[in-house]
This record gives sequence, structure tokens and C-alpha cells, in this order.
Amino acid sequence: MNIDSEKASPIFIQIQDYIRRAVAAGVYKPGEAIPSLRAMAIKLKVNPNTVKRAYQELERAGLIKARKGVGMFVTPDGAAGAKRHAEGMVVDCFLDGIRIAHSAGIDPSRVRSLFEEASMRELPVAKEAI
Amino acid sequence: MTQVSEPMFAIETVGMTKRFGTCTAVDELDLRIPRGTVFGLIGPNGAGKSTTIRMLMGLSRPTCGVVKVLGEHVIDCPTTRKARIGYVPETPSVYRWMKVDEAVRFCRSFYDTWNDELCSRLKTLFELNGEKVVGSLSKGSLAKLGLLLAISPEPEVLILDEPTAGLDPLVREEFLDGVLAEICRRPQTVFLSSHTLGDVQRLADSVGILHEGRLLVSSSTDQLLASTKRLRAVLRDGASPALAPPGTIWQGSEHREWSLTVHGFSESTIEFLRRDGSVEHVEVLDLNLEEIFKDFIKGRRLSA
Repeated sequence: MNIDSEKASPIFIQIQDYIRRAVAAGVYKPGEAIPSLRAMAIKLKVNPNTVKRAYQELERAGLIKARKGVGMFVTPDGAAGAKRHAEGMVVDCFLDGIRIAHSAGIDPSRVRSLFEEASMRELPVAKEAI
Repeated sequence: MTQVSEPMFAIETVGMTKRFGTCTAVDELDLRIPRGTVFGLIGPNGAGKSTTIRMLMGLSRPTCGVVKVLGEHVIDCPTTRKARIGYVPETPSVYRWMKVDEAVRFCRSFYDTWNDELCSRLKTLFELNGEKVVGSLSKGSLAKLGLLLAISPEPEVLILDEPTAGLDPLVREEFLDGVLAEICRRPQTVFLSSHTLGDVQRLADSVGILHEGRLLVSSSTDQLLASTKRLRAVLRDGASPALAPPGTIWQGSEHREWSLTVHGFSESTIEFLRRDGSVEHVEVLDLNLEEIFKDFIKGRRLSA
């Protein structure tokens, strides 16, 4: 994973997304520690204050919890929460597509068939990626 | 027991101005940089970045205004206090005839706070050969030597003046890794001027955009990205762009498309655009730091 500083989305959001995806994918399981602030800052090549902010937001969202003096750990509900968040992101992407379709005058039934076509095209790749 | 409280701001300027004859290079600059944060100063060539940095370093006396670093007026500050400020100029000035190790020993002799362990770690990280003559170093190695010499005395404030200008991407990354490792090792205030805006977006807690000696904006990086948006409005047939909403920093139109960049964007910006009925549809787009910077400067040039 790389943080993309060319991207418009703020880096602390990108860090949150990165950790959410890693938790949803099972890289860090409930009860396991995620990398320290320093380690994450050096790994992603970003300011540690930015990582701190991302961790605080994730703690507020209930995905991770600090254990004093030890580090940050994925909560028991963390994986389910990360998955729900991923679903939200999927819906956002769909909405973007629907808006593009709407402004270009593509009707809803055609949008549905385009979605089916895209799924068929991407499915083998997605399976391989898992 | 009385405790002397540390000043909240590592760098503080009030009305800092520098004039050369009739030319005002820096115009009433107010900066407040909290301790332990990274500040990125960005601006086109000739905006006054280096003049600003020279005044922060006490190398140039402001025509008027106040310049405090670590709570002290920098111009009257004794050398021992200035040792708490590390400085990396675009081209580090190190005696070219010295070997790298000699240059290190030479600089070391000026500081009580020199950290030998840190210095040798950086030497390894930067793959610097102690036996090499400084004059024979590549531009990249010289930049890394400059950083090593600035960081090894463990300064409280690190000032970097376009330190990665002209370096290849690999050396630039090694250089920034060195800065980052240092920020991670202990809280440190960093003042960075750079044209590589991706690096600034990555490292800086807050940024300032300087143009013709004036700060156009000074804000937390996240806040600037969150509140500056590009609006793409589609105009109704026959309509022409109406009054631009408050906070517009740049605008342009072509055919039915009216593009605007707005700083301080909110929902009311869209209401403002829609209110006279000339706009059919509005799309809101995010911008990265480079795009925001360009729009601020282009907008200024257009209005000049």
C-alpha cells in the first residue's frame, strides 16, 4: 500500500482506509496489534502526527483500542465494523456511477445491465486477488 | 519552585517585513508555528521564501516586525541559543577540500549537544563515505551530508530551504526518510520550503502559500484540502457566468462550463451559485495540494 500524495483525499483519511481494508481482509485480526505510530509513519512515509490522527479516528469509530503502554489493538467487533465500512465505500462508488449515468442521460435499466457486465468482467480477477 | 514555561510557538513572526530599496520581498508576514509540528511554506520562485527563511535564521535583519524562534528575538540571540536551530539550505555550505569525516568533526566541535550515535546512524543510512572529499560528492550525497550535519546536534527547530531541489526521486526519498525518522524519534519542529508539493502534503501538519511576499493562506493541511473545492457548473442555454461566490480564488469558463475554485467551501456555496437560475447542474470535486496551490497563484495573477 502506498499513500498517494497526488490524491486529493487527505492523508489521514487514506491511512484510515488502509487500516480498515487491512482489518476487513484479515491482515490484522481482532485482538491483534496494529503497527505503532512510528512504524506506520515510516512505512507509509508520512508525518507521525497524521498517523496519530488517523488512529484516534479509528479508535473513536470502535475499530481499534489503545492498551496503555502496549499499543493499539483491533477490537472484537473491529473486523465486522471494517467490513460494514467497506460496504459503505462500495455504495459510494455505485452512487458516483449512478450520478455519471444520470448526467449523461443513461436510463436506470441500462445502468443495471452495465453493472452486470462490469461484474462479469471483474469477477475472475477479484477471485484471484482473494 | 518556579518553572520557566516553554513558549507555545517554536516560530512566531509579527509583521515581519523585508524591503530591498523600493522592492518589498516579504510583506508583513505573521506566522505562528506550534512546537512539534511540521510547517510547509510553498510559493512560486521569487515569492520571498528564502528571504523569509534567512530572517528566521537571523542571517538577514527584517526591515520591520518581530521574529521569534523558540521564544527569543532571533537577531539578538547569542550563538549558543542559535545552536538549537538546524538549517539545511538548497546547497549546503561545507568546505569542499575537507573529507566527509573531517567536515563532521569540524562541525561537531561547535556543539555541546552533538549526538555521535545519531550521526553515525545517519552516515550509514545515507551511505556516506567518510574518506571522500566533500568537493567530489554528488549533489544528492552533499544534500544528505547537509542534513546529517544539521540533525546531529539535535536541534529543536529544523529549517529546510528547498532541500530536495534538483535531486533524483530515489535520493529525495532517502533524504525525506532521514527527516521522517528524525521527526519520529523525538517531537521536533520542522519548517520546510519546497516545490515538491507531494512531499509537503505528506509531511506538513500545516502549510502557508506565499505570493509576492504575502501569505495568501495559512492553514492546517487537512483543513485546506477539506475546504478548498473545484466546482464545475453547467450553465443553462444562453446564460453567462454570474457573480462568483465568496471565497472564489480562481475561475474560468468555456462554452456552457463554468469552473471555479472556492476556498472556504460549504453547502451555501452551491446555493449561492444556483440562486439566480443561470446554473443547471453543479459538480463538486476534491483537489490535491498542488492543484490548490496553482489555483491560488493563477487567481492572483489574473486579478493583478
